[in-house]
Amino acid sequence: MKAVLKRELLNNMKNLLIWSLSVGILGLICILLYQSMQGDMKEMADAFSNMGAFSDAFGMSTLSIATLKGYFATEVGTVHGLGSAMFAAIIAITIISKEEDSHTGEFLFSLPLSRSKILVCKALCIAVMLVVFTVICTVFYIAGFIMLDEEVPYEQLLTFMGRQLLMNFEISGICFGLSSLAGKNRTGLGLGIALICYCYDLMGRVVPDLKDYLYIGPYSYANAAEIFTDTKAPENSLVLAFVFIIIGVLFAFWNYNRRDLAS
Amino acid sequence: MENVVEIRNLTKSYGKNRGVIDVSLDIKQGDIFGFLGPNGAGKSTTIRSMLGFLKINSGGIKILEMDSVKDHERILKEVGYMPSEAWFYDSMRVSDVIKYAAQVRGLDCTDEARKLCERLKVDTTKRIKELSLGNRKKVSIVCAMQHRPKLFIFDEPTGGLDPLMQKKFFELINEYVEQGATCLLSTHVLSEVDKYCKNAAIMREGRLSMLDSPHIDDETFLKFYEEEEE
Repeated sequence: MKAVLKRELLNNMKNLLIWSLSVGILGLICILLYQSMQGDMKEMADAFSNMGAFSDAFGMSTLSIATLKGYFATEVGTVHGLGSAMFAAIIAITIISKEEDSHTGEFLFSLPLSRSKILVCKALCIAVMLVVFTVICTVFYIAGFIMLDEEVPYEQLLTFMGRQLLMNFEISGICFGLSSLAGKNRTGLGLGIALICYCYDLMGRVVPDLKDYLYIGPYSYANAAEIFTDTKAPENSLVLAFVFIIIGVLFAFWNYNRRDLAS
Repeated sequence: MENVVEIRNLTKSYGKNRGVIDVSLDIKQGDIFGFLGPNGAGKSTTIRSMLGFLKINSGGIKILEMDSVKDHERILKEVGYMPSEAWFYDSMRVSDVIKYAAQVRGLDCTDEARKLCERLKVDTTKRIKELSLGNRKKVSIVCAMQHRPKLFIFDEPTGGLDPLMQKKFFELINEYVEQGATCLLSTHVLSEVDKYCKNAAIMREGRLSMLDSPHIDDETFLKFYEEEEE
């Protein structure tokens, strides 16, 4: 099993580096841009905080983007939230199906390993990838604060990154389950799921009728503006996250063990 | 001589489509068993059922006296399989693929792999994506043979191989079989069955018929295909 896990990690390494460096560096650039925009920030912050529902949606009614913490939560929070979810979706939705899609399944499945063991390796690979992705991005963001000689809000930043990691696990859990369906490339579907989850949260914060159902989406507990203002995450959203992860993973195992493998 | 493969009343369908119907087959130890049949007759379905890639509808398969469902992993330890399309991870080097296949089996097959690569002239430094079908097939042969399995299952192995490599491939099979291995050879090439196989069967429309002898003439052989077309 160790050899399969190692191979999975190596096969996905390029993806990991591209995505973590892209999102991390983009976040770092955003943080560094704060200094050049600092002079105009006061007026901008006032304007942004008075845009009604849209200010709520992006958290600008509770946080001032004139402070680095507020700026980070609204700008980098969005970049990381979207980027990490897309990465999680892409690796998880292709990790099982790619074996049949690229015809490598006959080689892999003729080796003396059960399908369940192979899925364990693939699930572990996703988990490692997401943790490493989060660590790399966190290092870039902390570096940004340090480079601007600003105090790093460690507690809130680490809570935010931790919740984002859980959100990534939730999206990847759903996509892992879908990846166990017949072996076709479903990258588009994975990206769609990530974007729908993001849009659902955005709409939920703008449309009053949807507010009560915000907890269903994974962004509800990973919202940067709420975390940086120490707003407690709805408990049911965290419970639901674990439920989705467990269902997605169990479905993958159940479905993959019962179906024929395409050649 | 004991049966290495015992298939009893195997039936496998794909929804409403026919796969194989009521197939029974014994292959004895030391046999090189020719498995003939037109495209879509059910040869690959039978092989893929034996390897556990497909979930069978009814019947049973025993390989080396182990149940193909319950003892799936143990069976694969003793089997060397070469699929008709030899696909590997594109970005890997040939040496890594061969090493990976041995590592997953928990074996160090370095010496046997080196010997096979030398005989088949496999360039282990190249990446898989740089290889032609024939060269990928040679890598597949090494992966199937390096752990010296008790049962070889080859699905149309010689397509893409040049005549010299085909000769070397059959020399290798004969050597392993002389040392106690057994071989199931699925092919369209009658001359291979005639020359190398000890027993043979032909599949048509999902049903298996044993041949009295693997040495059949072209006309008799083609009749099986013509009847299929009719």
